[in-house]
Amino acid sequence: MSQAKQLRLIVTFPTTTEAIFMEKTCRGSQLPGRLIPVPRSISASCGMAWCAPTEAREALEQAVQAHGITVEGWYYVMI
Amino acid sequence: MENHVLVNAMGEACPMPVVKATQALREMTEAGVLEVLVDNEIAVQNLTRMGAGKGYAVQAEKQGDAKYSVRILVNTPPTEAAPAPEPACVPDARGDMVVAVGSSTMGQGNDELGATLMKGFLFAVSQLPKLPKTILFYNGGAKLTTEGSASLEDLKKLEAQGVEILTCGTCLNYYGLTEKLAVGGVTNMYAIVEKLAAASHVIRP
Repeated sequence: MSQAKQLRLIVTFPTTTEAIFMEKTCRGSQLPGRLIPVPRSISASCGMAWCAPTEAREALEQAVQAHGITVEGWYYVMI
Repeated sequence: MENHVLVNAMGEACPMPVVKATQALREMTEAGVLEVLVDNEIAVQNLTRMGAGKGYAVQAEKQGDAKYSVRILVNTPPTEAAPAPEPACVPDARGDMVVAVGSSTMGQGNDELGATLMKGFLFAVSQLPKLPKTILFYNGGAKLTTEGSASLEDLKKLEAQGVEILTCGTCLNYYGLTEKLAVGGVTNMYAIVEKLAAASHVIRP
């Protein structure tokens, strides 16, 4: 039943290592978000994605660029 | 200071908590937090569904015996045009399944990956349409229910919806975490065995 569905920014990565690096980077820079399994609406494959408030996109894009993190895609998903 | 509206629905049975919350929501003219206090898990489930159905984020926390707080984060006040669905009393969303977590990591191989997988696992459990009855944490799993765990938010939400969160006391003691338990209660081997024996099925990540 019960999960609170809201529009979230989902960032996917080509590798799990990259996703874990994203988590470390965001924790270090106090950027919002958390790792979750990639939502089924994006991909059926097994992987981890960064899930964050939609308004964090600009800050996350800057962090991704500054740290050379390879992103596969940016999505907006109701979660 | 943020706009905070408090609705006390302690002692009220469904659909009253949802009716009261919906009314308070309708009267909110600016963004803020609508906090509803209730005394049962079914009310938490119904309020969570109501808030989520309107597109708001919902936080829920067990604050004591028969005391729960549901916080609906109203980022934009409801508009007049928004449809108001009838409050529904939905049966309990918990099943008889038990999740047994014996490690802070999921699977064997690399511990960093295992910790990431376990975080994802507990998040996905919180998204199940039918929630587990109990989640048991033992051995390294005890680290997940204590201060500093990345899964506390998911576990608190599950607890507020009536999922029993129990951590092995021997394990907390062994790891020096007894004072750091942050969600759920402490249990012993007899209770762990009884819960596993009574489960319709057991999931072990």
